[in-house]
Amino acid sequence: MSLKFGVLGLLKEEPLHGYEVKNRFEAMLGGTWEVNIGQVYTTLQRLERDGLVRPVGPRGDRGKLLYELAPEGRKALSHWLAQPDSGPQQLHEDIYVKLLIATRVANGDLQGLLARQKRTFLQRLRDLNRLEERARRDGRIDLARLVRGALLHTEADLKWMDELSSERFGTEEGNPV
Amino acid sequence: MSELVRLNEVTKVYQGGITGALNGVSMTVDEGEFTAIMGPSGSGKSTMLNLVAGLDRPTSGTIEVGGADLARLGEAGLARFRRDRIGFIFQFFHLLPNMTALENILIPAQLKGDVVPGRANDLLDKLGISDVADKYPARLSGGQQQRVAVARALINHPTLLLADEPTGALDTRTGEQVMELLGNLHRDGQTILLVTHDAKLATRHAARVISVMDGKIVDDARLESPERTPSEVIRVRSQETSR
Repeated sequence: MSLKFGVLGLLKEEPLHGYEVKNRFEAMLGGTWEVNIGQVYTTLQRLERDGLVRPVGPRGDRGKLLYELAPEGRKALSHWLAQPDSGPQQLHEDIYVKLLIATRVANGDLQGLLARQKRTFLQRLRDLNRLEERARRDGRIDLARLVRGALLHTEADLKWMDELSSERFGTEEGNPV
Repeated sequence: MSELVRLNEVTKVYQGGITGALNGVSMTVDEGEFTAIMGPSGSGKSTMLNLVAGLDRPTSGTIEVGGADLARLGEAGLARFRRDRIGFIFQFFHLLPNMTALENILIPAQLKGDVVPGRANDLLDKLGISDVADKYPARLSGGQQQRVAVARALINHPTLLLADEPTGALDTRTGEQVMELLGNLHRDGQTILLVTHDAKLATRHAARVISVMDGKIVDDARLESPERTPSEVIRVRSQETSR
């Protein structure tokens, strides 16, 4: 899971305390994925148990412990980075189910629903555009890249809705009810 | 803001086919607005632009631009209207190949008999193409040709700038730059009506998106521009946390 490898990746750059790991991880993702400090410590402890990271020196002030990447961790990270992400595509949005249902129980307002949904996605595109612009201006290149991915996803969703919209429901085969 | 364009129940019927036809379209555009018109091929979006530009006449309904009812203008009046009030940018630039960039830009001003020395050079400067003034279109990149076309569209200070897929023939980066240019013109007060397929680019600059389908307006979205934090717009989830 990516928090584990995110931690390993950040530790490859330099040894870090638990809270620094949390801050850097969240900064990289621009706060779009919040992790609590407990999760980070649990992850670090598990990585230490598995021999992937190790503490550097004794506990510092307020009990802070610096962690670095162990040779096994380096190997695990390289292996993870070399593997393409596979498995089924994750579609998290409720909209996929909603639109499929809407096409089945066509009550004459599918076009209305599509128009309203498109409008919210156009607004999302605008928000993402502004976010990207700001991220680039602030030199937050990780966030800008992430936003770019989200922009292209939203564009694809809009294209899908346009296809649904022009399908002429009820006249094509395979359209029940 | 005052109203600049008004379409009232505009219908356009093409003989022998329905593609690009319009079926009772009504809308208004205010001065200073940057509006994108989106829709699938053949939906009638380019037809809307051509009618507003006075390049074509509607089968029925009325079109007013700046208070002028286009139907009341004869052919000469319509030509004058296009020359003096409208700037038009096309997908494939439509520059005259046997004229230099500068000469292309000056055509509308010469037709109007109003060549203001310096105006063309100011535009070349503003659009970042001063160095290609004396080159012929064939020697220019797509992005440069489109910039020349934008300068030509602006030379007579049009009330309304119309752009039909201005980034359609350009690569992503160049397309972004041309749209950035339109965004800057809009910030300087230019009213722009843009037809495009690219929702990403459209929403970056236009705060209003009109969706056209089968010759009808199916949505007219006015987008907001609030300052949102990244987490208000995107959530990245791992498989574990979403379980």
